[in-house]
Amino acid sequence: MSTETLVKDVKPGLKNLNLILIVLETGRVTKTKDGHEVRTCKVADKSGSINISVWDDVGNLIQPGDIIRLTKGYASVFKGCLTLYTGRGGDLQKIGEFCMVYSEVPNFSEPNPEYAAQQSQSKGAQNESTPPPPPPDEPRPPRAPPGGRITRSQPGHPPLSNGKETRRSSKR
Amino acid sequence: RLERCVSIVTALTNGLSEREANDALNAHICKGSPQHEEICLGLFTLVLTEPAQAQKCYRDLALVSRDGMNIVLNKINHILMEKYLKLQDTCRTQLVWLLRELVKNGVLGADGVCMTFMKQIAGGDVTAKNIWLAENVLEILTEQREWVLKSSLLIAMAVYTYLRLIVDHHGTAQLQGLRQKEVEFCISLLRERFMDCFMIGRDLVRLLQNVARIPEFELLWKDIIHNPQVLSAQFTGVLQLLQSRTSRKFLACRLTPDMETKLLFMTSRVRFGQQKRYQDWFQRQYLSTPDSQSLRCDLIRYICGVVHPSNEVLSSDILPRWAIIGWLLTTCTSNVAASNAKLALFYDWLFFSPEKDSIMNIEPAILVMHHSMKPHPAITATLLDFMCRIIPNFYPPLEAHVRQGVFNSLTHIVEKRVLAHLAPLFDNPKLDKELRAMLREKFPEFCSSPSPPIEVKIEEPVSMEMENHMAEKDDSCYDNAEAAFSDDEEDLNNKGKKREFRFHPIKEAIVEEPVDITPFLDQLDESLKDKVLQLQKGSDTEAQCEVMQEIVDQVLEEDFDSEQLSGLASCLQELFKAHFRGEVLPEEITEESLEESVGKPLYLIFRNLCQMQEDNSGFSLLLDLLSELYQKQPKIGYHLLYYLRASKAAAGKMSLYECFAQATQLGDLHTCLMMDMKACQEDDVRLLCYLTPSIYTEFPDETLRSGELLNMIVAVIDSFQLQELVCHVMMGNLVMFRKDSVLNILIQSLDWETFEQYCTWQLFLAHSIPLETIIPILQHLKYKDHPEALSCLLLQLRREKPSEEMVKMVLSRPCHPEDQFTTSILRHWCIKHDDLLAEHIKSLLIKNNSLPRKRQSLRSSSSKLAQLTLEQILEHLDNLRLNLSNTKQNFFSQTPILQALQHVQASCDEAHKMKFSDLFSLAEDYEDSSSKPPKSRRKAPTVSPRSRKSTAQPPNPEEESGSSSASEEEDTKPKPPKRKRKGSSAVGSDSD
Repeated sequence: MSTETLVKDVKPGLKNLNLILIVLETGRVTKTKDGHEVRTCKVADKSGSINISVWDDVGNLIQPGDIIRLTKGYASVFKGCLTLYTGRGGDLQKIGEFCMVYSEVPNFSEPNPEYAAQQSQSKGAQNESTPPPPPPDEPRPPRAPPGGRITRSQPGHPPLSNGKETRRSSKR
Repeated sequence: RLERCVSIVTALTNGLSEREANDALNAHICKGSPQHEEICLGLFTLVLTEPAQAQKCYRDLALVSRDGMNIVLNKINHILMEKYLKLQDTCRTQLVWLLRELVKNGVLGADGVCMTFMKQIAGGDVTAKNIWLAENVLEILTEQREWVLKSSLLIAMAVYTYLRLIVDHHGTAQLQGLRQKEVEFCISLLRERFMDCFMIGRDLVRLLQNVARIPEFELLWKDIIHNPQVLSAQFTGVLQLLQSRTSRKFLACRLTPDMETKLLFMTSRVRFGQQKRYQDWFQRQYLSTPDSQSLRCDLIRYICGVVHPSNEVLSSDILPRWAIIGWLLTTCTSNVAASNAKLALFYDWLFFSPEKDSIMNIEPAILVMHHSMKPHPAITATLLDFMCRIIPNFYPPLEAHVRQGVFNSLTHIVEKRVLAHLAPLFDNPKLDKELRAMLREKFPEFCSSPSPPIEVKIEEPVSMEMENHMAEKDDSCYDNAEAAFSDDEEDLNNKGKKREFRFHPIKEAIVEEPVDITPFLDQLDESLKDKVLQLQKGSDTEAQCEVMQEIVDQVLEEDFDSEQLSGLASCLQELFKAHFRGEVLPEEITEESLEESVGKPLYLIFRNLCQMQEDNSGFSLLLDLLSELYQKQPKIGYHLLYYLRASKAAAGKMSLYECFAQATQLGDLHTCLMMDMKACQEDDVRLLCYLTPSIYTEFPDETLRSGELLNMIVAVIDSFQLQELVCHVMMGNLVMFRKDSVLNILIQSLDWETFEQYCTWQLFLAHSIPLETIIPILQHLKYKDHPEALSCLLLQLRREKPSEEMVKMVLSRPCHPEDQFTTSILRHWCIKHDDLLAEHIKSLLIKNNSLPRKRQSLRSSSSKLAQLTLEQILEHLDNLRLNLSNTKQNFFSQTPILQALQHVQASCDEAHKMKFSDLFSLAEDYEDSSSKPPKSRRKAPTVSPRSRKSTAQPPNPEEESGSSSASEEEDTKPKPPKRKRKGSSAVGSDSD
């Protein structure tokens, strides 16, 4: 719990990141070839803001103002921009809303030519046209559905939320 | 945890008959209080989650509970306050069911739960769930009316809640039905238990006003006004109610816990300037529908009455309350809501009494008016307008009381120094004429400046309006009021009106205040006296000018007795008073308007001076006359400057001002100029800007070194005027900084206000002075104290190619974890000029390669303060390394850097090797092709730094010559002599 990384310390290639973030903007949905919905959201903590790529239904549940916890995320460069992803076995969980101080600047996802250059250098056999690029050395099947899920209280849960936030229903 | 309790209960009772189950539970409870709690919470949870078993579980709960259900009540309150929004529908239904049971059984403390429940009913929300809750709670309260009547707080709270909710419930049949129930409920409690409701305070009246159209309430109102005793023997009338302050718990009860949390978060954690998104989120959640507009009043009342931040917060950069109010007001979409919101904002003003009420309740209104004046004058205007109109309109029979209340508020505000003076607010040229007239009429006391009339600076006096009022002689207050302004000259509309004034200055001046010049006249001889009297009578400018010319001629006559100068000056000063309070600079600057503006009689003296030779005897006589005038009317100084700038006749005669300055008692150009510019600054900022280019051009020696003058200017200009000055600079009409003095002035500016500093930097940047000139300012800049200068400098540095001097200055900044300046700029340079930066760093590293602080370098001026140590350089480099890690920026893999690092590492002590091991490790693998073992005497670095040094280091000539000569002597190891490497490490490495 005490090991949350700050946005400012997120660097491309870092894995196993835990962050607590507040959602500032939710982006438009794009569809991947195999039908997954991906959206890029702008999130922030007190050290700055960054983009996070959110997959499928999770994206529909996220709203600006939500405070979310990312577990087992990783950072990578997508189209020259530093971006966060939910890693395998990772999780995106809403833990509150509104009451978090953030700083919108610096925006660590601003296009960074360095990253772009690096990326094109290190570009391997992978097809880079669709997000997300896999974490450098955590092989994943290309464009696998993301591991994370966000859950809000939904019918079908035990009806009482017992003082804690609703939990993920399915862990992998 | 609740789930665990459930499992305990289920385990205990499973498969047992009711009686046995009961025994089992009791037996468990007997074991101790933790077990008691487990059972209570377990049963409670079952009630909420298993509707089918609820009845049975509740009965068990009632039977086994040994604390009067206290644990359960606490848990309910807790869930309501923290989690209600997240509860499932069944669970909510069960909670209400449980409340009903608790109330039915008259459980002690159920009234508290009831109130917590009412708090969950959101104002301005007619969604089904919210209505459902309002309905159900009302049903319980109505069914158990007898029980309700036992708690006066519950009565008051219920009345306050439902009176407020009635407003939201209209439209559909379902809502109308609910509304009718609410009306009946409230009316019955109000009529039966009025004094309990009285406890609410003045906000009860506010709510009753909102529902006054409903027939039942109309009747109630009639009784309140005409027949208060019917309601209660102790009730003497509406005034009594209006004079009692509303308790915070009522104001707070109309916000749901979630709203409360969010507002409190905004007012305690969010920094001013960062609130936009929070406001948007709040608005999206709570204020986005037409029905939700009524919530604004609740929020405003809450902020005024409940959110009272500590002094610590008040003095910090946390979002102030007035800003939130401003937001709530500006985003109002309906007129009704807007006017209710204004009433809510001013509600505590109306019957304010300093003894009973708090300044904190009235402060937001005055501050939102004050702070909106610049960005949103319309808001201020509508609030001021409301404040005036509410006095007679709130309730005509109590007009005197309301007036007194508003007065008390304003007085208290001034006393408590919320605002020092109200005149700048009430009589601001940004407000329209009618509004100002109304304010003047209603609040004459607050429209006048408290300063004594003598000091009064009248720079924008006689407007059209004033002419109209002139006959009525009621202008005294107006006049004073105008005088309180020194900072609002920018209002152009107002200026427009004043043009009128210039055409008949004399007449008005005389009408305004008939001057008595007789004592002075006596000092004059007959012919002069006649002329002065003629001047006094003269009505149009032209005739006066003629007379004035005659007077000047007479002064210049051979036999003129110079003893009379003083008396003459007094007369002129008195007669032309109006000149000095009128506007000097025409509103539109054209050739004609300028020529016209310099046609004033008094300016004839200036004109005569311009036409004379300096060696003429009359010249000094006229200067003496001016000097006399100057003593009596210092404004003549900047009038002269204006004349010399604006009049064609005076072209090229600016030096006349110098003669004038020397003729005055000040006797010194610099002092005189500063005093005049100061006077001009106080009177007329436009004029100040108009004069700025010419005085900077004409008197460079006095102006370019003067931080004082610059501060005068930047302290009063607005962004438009700044832009004008910047353009002047770029067009070559104005030079405000010179290489030799700019650094000094910028250092002085560090103590100025933020906007002043930004102006200064903007003006500086408009000049093309090389940044090198001012780089030494870096030594004066503290990261925390000088953000303006540092950020300006940072943004400028990033556009420069780094020179060694720059790099040195940047590296000379003390290392502080929070200070990111150096790392920022180094990083930038790394990306854009990596090779150049590498060379500079290498050279600095090698030059400063003496770890112990041997600072023998207190000699050359530029490096005096820059106490660059090796350690510092290394620390900065280490920070840079950390910043660049993961970026694949290969700055640290450049040959010069690696060479320098190796070189330094070889000679530094163990502690430093440890400290910067990460940094040094970068260079570990590096093997110079020209010299294999790093310890060899013939190290490669020795070649390159030297060759570079002789070319790339012009800024540091002293050091340069020293080092290069040294290196020439000791061909293979040029560094050791440089910084007197006495350290044993150096010896060690050499002898190795």
